[in-house]
Amino acid sequence: MTRSQHGLAAAPWVFLGVFFVAPVVMTLAIFSDITVLQETITNSFFIKIAWFSLWQAMLSVVVTLLIGLPATWALSRVSFPGSQILRGILSAPFVMPAVVVASGVLAVLPADNNTGLIPILWAHAMFNISVVLRIVGPRWELLDQRLEHAAATLGAHPMHTFRHIVWPHIKNSTMNAALLIFIYCFTSFGVIVIVGGFQRRTMEAEIFTQAIRLGDTSTATALAVTQIAMIGLVFTIVRTRSGREISAQHIQRRPPLSSTTHNRWIVWGAIASAVAVVGLPLVATLWRSIYSRSTQSFTVSGWESLLDARLPGMAYSATEVLTNSAMFALLAALVCVPLSLAAVVSNNRFLFFVSSLPVVVSAATLGIGLIITFDVDPIAWRSQWWLLPVVHAVIAFPLTTRTLHPAYTAIPTSLRHSATVLGASPLRTFFHIEIPIMKSALWRATGLSAAVSLGEFGATSFLSRSGTTTMPIAISQLMGTVGQAPQQAAFALSATFIIVTIGVMSRA
Amino acid sequence: MKKIHLIAVLLGSAIVAASCTSSSSENTTTEVTLVAYDSFTPEEGIFDAFTEQTGATVKVVTAGDTGTMVSKAILTAGNPEGDVMWGIDNTFLSRAQDANVLSSYEPVDEGDICVNYDKEWFNERAIAVPTSFEDLVRPEYAGLLTVQDPVNSSPGLGFLLGTIAHFGDNNWEQYWRALKDNKVNMAPDWSSAYYEAFSASSDTGKYPLVVSYGSSPPAEVVFAETPITEPTTGVIEATCFRQTEYVGVLRGTKNTELAEKLVEYLLGKKFQESMPLTLFVFPINKDAILPEVFEKFAVRPANPLLMEPKKIEDNRESWLDTWRGLFS
Repeated sequence: MTRSQHGLAAAPWVFLGVFFVAPVVMTLAIFSDITVLQETITNSFFIKIAWFSLWQAMLSVVVTLLIGLPATWALSRVSFPGSQILRGILSAPFVMPAVVVASGVLAVLPADNNTGLIPILWAHAMFNISVVLRIVGPRWELLDQRLEHAAATLGAHPMHTFRHIVWPHIKNSTMNAALLIFIYCFTSFGVIVIVGGFQRRTMEAEIFTQAIRLGDTSTATALAVTQIAMIGLVFTIVRTRSGREISAQHIQRRPPLSSTTHNRWIVWGAIASAVAVVGLPLVATLWRSIYSRSTQSFTVSGWESLLDARLPGMAYSATEVLTNSAMFALLAALVCVPLSLAAVVSNNRFLFFVSSLPVVVSAATLGIGLIITFDVDPIAWRSQWWLLPVVHAVIAFPLTTRTLHPAYTAIPTSLRHSATVLGASPLRTFFHIEIPIMKSALWRATGLSAAVSLGEFGATSFLSRSGTTTMPIAISQLMGTVGQAPQQAAFALSATFIIVTIGVMSRA
Repeated sequence: MKKIHLIAVLLGSAIVAASCTSSSSENTTTEVTLVAYDSFTPEEGIFDAFTEQTGATVKVVTAGDTGTMVSKAILTAGNPEGDVMWGIDNTFLSRAQDANVLSSYEPVDEGDICVNYDKEWFNERAIAVPTSFEDLVRPEYAGLLTVQDPVNSSPGLGFLLGTIAHFGDNNWEQYWRALKDNKVNMAPDWSSAYYEAFSASSDTGKYPLVVSYGSSPPAEVVFAETPITEPTTGVIEATCFRQTEYVGVLRGTKNTELAEKLVEYLLGKKFQESMPLTLFVFPINKDAILPEVFEKFAVRPANPLLMEPKKIEDNRESWLDTWRGLFS
């Protein structure tokens, strides 16, 4: 590692240190109490919650993989017109606020089924199919199709080919995707609160209940620590079992659907089932934005109210909310992407480890930490508007570094050496060789961090706002207000959100 | 290269924007900050008169729902985010008092949490509308009521406290067992109860009885999509539990004088008269005149169920534990 690489690590270190490590450590230092921890982990009520968190997360992983892998196969092995927009549709829910996804699922299911395991699994699958698509997809794309063709020519059964050629190649990335999905579902909050019903609660939901409703921050912290320990345990078990990736890479174009030997019905079936799972709730939301359930007739009042000076019953207009969200998304990307790039280039393993922690740490732990850390001068930032995009950047950080890392390591060393031999300075090499090669990964990271910012609703809900209401907050406020006009406006705003994210994600 | 320029410009403008706002916030002598819950949506320009009187502008900072707002204020008690806090209710007041969050406080508005009913549903079937808690556990009303989880929802907690106030500390548990046997539906929060389960709000809703507010009927009229003259919902008065909200000066403010003036303004006739149609609560100031739609459709029971904030705080955890034991 060179000196300049060490220097590069400084910026992401300071950033994560100030806005993530410090607040989390503050919370743990102030509210950790060993007797409360003992009481908590031996309390049968909390054990039940921990057990539910665990098994529903495992089941969610299985369901998501069953739906996500076939679609990933189809989208990464075959090209056809419209595949870009389908990719956008499948990826969009990942960044949508839970309130949009969950209300979409509720709009599809019959009224009797509005809480319970089925809506939980459905919403979790909707959120996470995109994780499979994004982590396993690029890997699958790189598998040399000639290998499969050779196997087929030699008379191998497709199942056989999958087991011996495809699976070894995608095993590790599938495990990585499964692990990430497990963590997201284990720590699920918004979905659980809306469709879980009062009996099916995750630890994350209980952390909020304890900290906010019951005012018992010590128990909340004990639960948060237990949650981190449980995730850490699963992480270690999965990691020690996955071996090295077998490499049979070959950069190639995806063959068009018309020219492949795959049965086109299988391709369409794989995609259609995933699109149905993800698309139906989204379509239901679009539908509800123009159809009133109470008067049972069509209406455009929701869409009209988006143009009004104030949303019904609210102190702000849709334009303000959209502008705020767009500005925060842009700022979050501007903070997150350069810092992630610096972290990736610095190649510091410990930094890499810390940068992935925001995925594991409960949003409540971070949120409480932000309030109690940034409350005194000269760092009394808790009510500053810019803290919102900064926290969004912290939460997007694990995703962006993981998007940029493979792209950076894929740059052949020979290119850098040639540049050095030809007399280019490291900086010049960076800007003229590395950046252009990583261009598409950089755009993807930008889109991803912007999208995370658009949908984030956990940690930032702890921060106070003055005229900085964002879309997810506005949607849940409208849904929580009496009257049909705010309801329709909520669905129109959700529909806008869906259309915007599908647009962003089909490019990202 | 063009892209790098663009990024530089954007970064530059972000820095300029950041520095502009920080310089303007230093100028706090003529500004007073009101911390409120998210659904605090006062009438536009309502603070203009206050600015005229005092020369100070009012900055409203929203801090989440009531629970989040109070919990946050407790975490940093004595070092507040603002000068005045709006909207701590009687279910949270005692907790805020114990943590010494406020240096003074007064009731500012009141409302009731009551069972609402779908008028059309009962009319069409010629079934009498229930009139009491006792009615709700009778077989003819089996499977008709939807309520919210009292652990995580304010109206849900209000309804639970109402039953405790009515049946007493020793008998409420038995009542809830009867409710459970009578197939009460338990919704996770107010919106899913009111908009998904309640038959008056949704063609797929199956429950004609829902826990909501005494002011929900006039809100239905004010926020109707197409103008209506009469609400489609009514209120069962005997189930109403009184919710009082307080306004107070936050302990640790450097702006005590202005803070007290703002509290006085919020209790004044002008602000109090604006509350019914923006916040859907009743004014505490007896001189305030109610708007017509409130006068006509909002229910203000003569003898609502009441409970002391201290009793609520002392017992909340054990009540909720007992309740959780009944339902899980």
